[in-house]
Amino acid sequence: MALEISTNPMAIGAIAARLTEEFGADLHDVHVQQPDTVVASCDRARLRDLAQRLKGDPEVGYETLNWVAGIDRITAFESVYHVYSWKTNTYLELHVEVPRATPEVDSVVAVWPAADWHERESWDMMGITYLGHPDLRRILLKDDFVGHPLRKDYVDLVENHPNA
Amino acid sequence: MPDQFAAAAPDEAVKLALRRIDEANARGEGSNVEGLEFNEIVVNMGPQHPSTHGVLRLVVTLDGELVKDVIPVIGYLHRCKEKLAEKRTYFQYIPIVDRTEYVASMNCEWGYVMTVEKLAGIRPTRRAEFIRVITGELSRIASHLVAVGTFTADLAPLGTAMVFYMFRDREVILDLLEELSGARMMFNYFRFGGVRYDLPDGWVEKCRAFMKKMPKLIAEYEALVDDNAIFLQRCMGKGVITQQDVIDYGITGPNARASGVAHDLRRTRPYSVYPELDFEVCTESHGDIFDRYRVRMNELRESVKIIEQCLDMLPKGPVQVGSLRAPYVITPPPGSCYVGQENPRGEYGTYIESDGSRYPYRLKFRDPCFCNLQLFPKLLSGNKIADAVAISGSIDLVLGGIDR
Repeated sequence: MALEISTNPMAIGAIAARLTEEFGADLHDVHVQQPDTVVASCDRARLRDLAQRLKGDPEVGYETLNWVAGIDRITAFESVYHVYSWKTNTYLELHVEVPRATPEVDSVVAVWPAADWHERESWDMMGITYLGHPDLRRILLKDDFVGHPLRKDYVDLVENHPNA
Repeated sequence: MPDQFAAAAPDEAVKLALRRIDEANARGEGSNVEGLEFNEIVVNMGPQHPSTHGVLRLVVTLDGELVKDVIPVIGYLHRCKEKLAEKRTYFQYIPIVDRTEYVASMNCEWGYVMTVEKLAGIRPTRRAEFIRVITGELSRIASHLVAVGTFTADLAPLGTAMVFYMFRDREVILDLLEELSGARMMFNYFRFGGVRYDLPDGWVEKCRAFMKKMPKLIAEYEALVDDNAIFLQRCMGKGVITQQDVIDYGITGPNARASGVAHDLRRTRPYSVYPELDFEVCTESHGDIFDRYRVRMNELRESVKIIEQCLDMLPKGPVQVGSLRAPYVITPPPGSCYVGQENPRGEYGTYIESDGSRYPYRLKFRDPCFCNLQLFPKLLSGNKIADAVAISGSIDLVLGGIDR
């Protein structure tokens, strides 16, 4: 199998237009961030399905997950997925809002295997639960650490570090 | 008094390894032989182990000499980099970025500074761009020397010969960078809109002289290793990363290029003055240990080529945007952006979200080693334990970046 990186990719505007046309029902706020990134958001209920279709799209095909990050927006959390398309040599930044009361979102490990550790990190740091993740453990902090430090309301207490 | 020699209680990773053994046995896939009490053993490799090149811990399930399963445990070097960003101004944060991937700190600084510049709409001066490429590529050479040197030390045939040659020459580069920035490894040299100091007198000549010597030195390294039968036997066909692995796990850098994927952000997502420079993206086709080593050696040559071109093309002018001479407070407008930078180990990306204040609202690093390490369970399983050491050496991990 030859993996070719396109040297003459579709214009980023054309990709954004195609995404709106193809996935318009699920993708919201599609806009272009120059030079090569499409930024969009989607509902958390539709995430896994959308991820599957984005990956399988014959023309764009976001096959590689670059990273996942949790962001604390005070009113809610956000899980950001940054994915790469080899066919067009462009990126998609997908924002998914996760309510603060029930910080849960479907895991995309089944679609993009690379999501495994990134989702663990996001859970560790931000406390977003990725439903269906095969092994959601802390990754950077100790197993017995209390709290999720990248939340804006996190207060660092001695009790949060047992056995330290 | 607590008994300091008492066995520590198994932690989550060890429990997981034991659970997987039980599950495999229950499925009838275990290698349990009737009458033997212990067939598979769980071994902690690290966190203090010479071949992991840092505080990486691998919980390895061994069946005799064969690696059945690997569970990497990371976080021993976690220094809360992303949390620290919340209470540091953009300017104060530059020296902290140095300490993420400390083997190539110039490149890390570059990635961070580029992201902030993109957010704030700052264009660095042209002379600064060339100096950045020179320092970045010097850093890449130094980093590859460390990577290949320590990796060959893990393989028995050469002992530490290669390390000494490579660290000898790396020291020349560190001296050059020290003369430039004042620090040997943690440079704190990049500034928004340029770099901190202009090149000192005579620096260009010194750098050029070393670059002239470099091809001979590379030939010397290759003469040591390339025809060594034991080295080849231990490297050829071992630890193959397929192109599907590259797609699935987001492998980048020399590890991806050794599998024939010509992904190099200097070409695929060009930044700085790379479009004006003539260099090749080095690829190999097999994706085994030997190809990863070859890609790094070829990249040394390409870096030398790039530096020589930059020294020739180096324009005159200021090294920093005048109005930003003391940018102690910089406030990018609200917004977010992600910039990837081709680090010696792959795509080192910085995602910054600004709320218009002096501090980043959210800063996230995408570290190449973190993504590459994720492949370890798949890559090491099924190999002999000695080969696992060789493979993990060839992946070139820096724990400072992984743990952040």
